[in-house]
Amino acid sequence: MDQRPFLRIFTTPAALCALGFTAAMVAVLQYSLRAYIPGSLDPGGFTLGNFADLLRPLYARVFLDTVSICALTAVATLLVGYPLAYALVLLENPVLKSALLVIVVTPLFLGEVVRTYSWIIVLGNNGFINSVLRGLGLIEQPVQFMFTTFGVVIALVHVTLPVMVIMLAAGLSHIDRDYQRAAESLGAGPIRTFLTITLPLSMPGVIAGVTTAFAWTFSAFATPQMIGGGRVNMVSNLVYQLGFSSFNFPFAATLCVAGLALTIAVMSILGLAARPFKNFGAH
Amino acid sequence: MRRFWLALFALLLVVPAHAQDKLVVSIWGGSWRDLIAETVAKKFTADTGVPVDFVTGGTIDRLNKEKLAKGNPESDITFTTSHVGWLYANDGLFETLDTAKIPNAKNLADEARISPYHLGAWAYVYTIGYRADLLKGEKFESWNDLWKPELKAKLAAPDFDPSHIIAVAALLSGADAAHWEKGEDKLKALKPNFKAFYTNDANSQQLLASGETPLQIVLSMNAYYMIGQGVPITLAIPKEGAVLGVDTVAIMKGSKKAELAYKFINTLYDPEIQAEIAKLKKGSPAVLNAKLDPEIAKLPGVFTTAEQWKKQINIDAKLRAEKTAEWRKWFAENIMN
Repeated sequence: MDQRPFLRIFTTPAALCALGFTAAMVAVLQYSLRAYIPGSLDPGGFTLGNFADLLRPLYARVFLDTVSICALTAVATLLVGYPLAYALVLLENPVLKSALLVIVVTPLFLGEVVRTYSWIIVLGNNGFINSVLRGLGLIEQPVQFMFTTFGVVIALVHVTLPVMVIMLAAGLSHIDRDYQRAAESLGAGPIRTFLTITLPLSMPGVIAGVTTAFAWTFSAFATPQMIGGGRVNMVSNLVYQLGFSSFNFPFAATLCVAGLALTIAVMSILGLAARPFKNFGAH
Repeated sequence: MRRFWLALFALLLVVPAHAQDKLVVSIWGGSWRDLIAETVAKKFTADTGVPVDFVTGGTIDRLNKEKLAKGNPESDITFTTSHVGWLYANDGLFETLDTAKIPNAKNLADEARISPYHLGAWAYVYTIGYRADLLKGEKFESWNDLWKPELKAKLAAPDFDPSHIIAVAALLSGADAAHWEKGEDKLKALKPNFKAFYTNDANSQQLLASGETPLQIVLSMNAYYMIGQGVPITLAIPKEGAVLGVDTVAIMKGSKKAELAYKFINTLYDPEIQAEIAKLKKGSPAVLNAKLDPEIAKLPGVFTTAEQWKKQINIDAKLRAEKTAEWRKWFAENIMN
């Protein structure tokens, strides 16, 4: 008798989705190899010209900017998220624990556009931060947060934080407390215990969090679009501009393919670089 | 039980028949849909008894959907911007219009007769809008005033369409949009004054309302909306003219209700309906015989005479459809980044 009688039924929806995604990817791929005809929606004949155009300074720079924004966001989110995740694991009061969890995951429940508009109110020249700094007499001219990479990264950290905290908390909660107690009983202080026991053992969570944050940020669209104000662009913004503003769908498709290839390449490199740390948590 | 099945069968017969009696109009959502619902559609339904249904979405979303539905269109009527209308037309998605069936179209301004497939529904301008309270003492009598060094990092322009400023730079360099390359150096000289590029009307509003960019190349109807919301914006019409924009209407090829669609378009050009549209949206009527409230008629970007239409900078819609990608690419590579 079949050990898994419902396997076929349960996997059918996933298989159909995979089929749909594959068909869409094939369509994007074939569009990326077609010429753009000005004033027409239909693409022209086969060409590799779109891929050659990727080497133009503007596009090459946007790809590099995207990678650096993703890296900055992942690192900044890790730095902000680690203490929160640690607190979440250590807290024993269920009310405090729930309150912290709610605060951490709230950004996931806000729409991307609403969340980004909130950041415009905070980061603008007449926004919250500049008003406070001016009120305290610390600045005369507003600090420029809007339309800068810094502003975009701040807003991206906000949205990436829940994912990072959840993954770190999962990693941290798997650490056997006996290791920490053993270190303390042998005379190690809290900082030494953290640096020599907790941090190394949480590396699988850190790697999972950083990798996910990186991939999560790579597809960011509304935040760089609105906070970046056309000055800070990521790959998704270029795809939108080329497809929806310029009607150049073949080149937009080329950027999609190149963006996907870049994501796979960066994730593979990250995976290889993180390999030595992966076994840190093994008991 | 038998009665239930009979009732269900009757319902199935009735529902499609009822749906078939509707005229389907494709338009942007939000206030644009409401504008048509409250003016043209209301009168059209009162005159014909035929209700109007709306399909709403972004410019390119709707274009893509209609392209996929070619020959069996989702809508009978489409409203879109003049140059995007050419993309529909070039793809064979629009019906060739028989203007004999639209008697009111005889009053259309020449500039609103975009093509044999699509006609202007209303007009607007892209011009200089600024916060006089934040740019004290500044006056904008010519487009050249945008180049003033004291306006460094004050200006915003649409990131989705640089055609307006490209046409202006060409004009100021003694050329026109078709020979836009002559304005390249002029445009590069404006680069320091750009602070940001807005992505949509809401973004434009936010940048002006917050004072983040106190100077914008702005859509007149959008500026009037903000003024209505209490944002102190001054609209200037430079001596060279503002950049004319026309939103258009067309009948989808394959529509099974073409006759009703012609009636709908004729209703759109009713002078009273055009005056109502001007009143609600502060857009210009596409016809020359609309009787406007004097307060509306005097607004920049609202035209009541053929001379006013001709004074504006008019980029040929077909040229714009063909050049948009090239302009956008050049603008992104040389000005935005």
